[in-house]
Amino acid sequence: MKSFGIEFVPMELFWKTTYYSMQAEKLGYNSIWITDHFNNRNVYVSLSFIANYTDRIRLGTGVTNPYLIHPVYTAQSIASLNEVAPGRVICGIGAGDKTTLEMLGKKMDTPLRAMRESVNLIRSQIAREKSGYQGKMFSTSPGARFNFKTKGEVPIYIGAQGPKMLQLAGGIGDGALINASHPRDIERAVSLIEKGAGKAGRKITDIDVAAYTSFSVADDLKSAKKSVVPVVAYIVAGSPSVILERHGILTENADKIRQGLAERNWGEAFGAVDNNMIDAFSICGTPDQCIEKIDELFKTGINHFITGSPLGPNKKKSINLFGNEVMPHFKEA
Amino acid sequence: MNYKEFVKQVPKTMRGPLSENLIDILLEGKENIVVPPSLAKTILHYWQRDQLDSEAGLTNLIKATFEAAPETTLKVIDNFDLKELRIALQPV
Repeated sequence: MKSFGIEFVPMELFWKTTYYSMQAEKLGYNSIWITDHFNNRNVYVSLSFIANYTDRIRLGTGVTNPYLIHPVYTAQSIASLNEVAPGRVICGIGAGDKTTLEMLGKKMDTPLRAMRESVNLIRSQIAREKSGYQGKMFSTSPGARFNFKTKGEVPIYIGAQGPKMLQLAGGIGDGALINASHPRDIERAVSLIEKGAGKAGRKITDIDVAAYTSFSVADDLKSAKKSVVPVVAYIVAGSPSVILERHGILTENADKIRQGLAERNWGEAFGAVDNNMIDAFSICGTPDQCIEKIDELFKTGINHFITGSPLGPNKKKSINLFGNEVMPHFKEA
Repeated sequence: MNYKEFVKQVPKTMRGPLSENLIDILLEGKENIVVPPSLAKTILHYWQRDQLDSEAGLTNLIKATFEAAPETTLKVIDNFDLKELRIALQPV
């Protein structure tokens, strides 16, 4: 079955994010993902509030990371949220983004180990295992467990982009959040998830494979594009050369964007974003154009499509456009 | 101010579109739109039940928008040609 999710960056006041979340639930979206960055509103406060005003939609962190939040606290937060919204909570976790970690003086050391141990530790905590957890990065003493029980299971989805992390997601994740938007990138990611699943004796069908995209929909292409340009600029600036080369993006053009962003010269940075970059790093257009692009993504083997920031030039209108004109095309099919 | 009395003057057919316009004022206004948390929660309560266009829902919406963004609210009221409501709100 095809699922649809929506990401919110809690930059806005709590009740606005909650309003949009309720709107998404009313329209039939399946999941809400709240980003976790120290400079925005807290992810668990946001999710907890949303949980109080929704009944069905699944609620996930999109995504938290083990470098800033100890996995024991992630497990505690997720388990507590699961009491507010039983059976609806998803723990989305990834290695984090380098820029944010560096701002806080953290290094992204051994990300694969960090992720593997975090997932194991979170599961161990939620299961209230008595033996504690002994890893190389994280460990807990025997008896260091919750004083409360968690009902049911809380799935853990791994945010991934690089080949090894995608394989890890296939190996140990209940779900995988592929951080990409282009069919070629998604196809490659799905095959790596499948490879990782195979190595662990699992099948890809055991995993909820989601494309976590940069997304913008509007009545006209021009408005949709205009809205997505800043997001694409940051993606281009943060992408390694191997990714840029794959999409035929010249290093000098990426450097121009990087320089513009560093100097806070938005005109130069955003002006250097071209159509090729927009196609490579976003799903963007009118509802019909989005349907065509999302259809291509589903053909790669994903079963969950997430509309990430910016959503569109007008959030409320774009959520309605997606819910009323894009999603029904796939749900009815 | 008794917003509820004003809302009673709004024809029922206009209440849906008016509530959409009013919620847009709150959503699209930047951080300078101040809505007390208790009022915001009341609005969400009515939204959850699809009752933002009810008399009570609209009353709370007008209260929130008029107190947060009076000029924009009056423009919306003008667009709906709600003259009596406009006059009632005007001197405030």
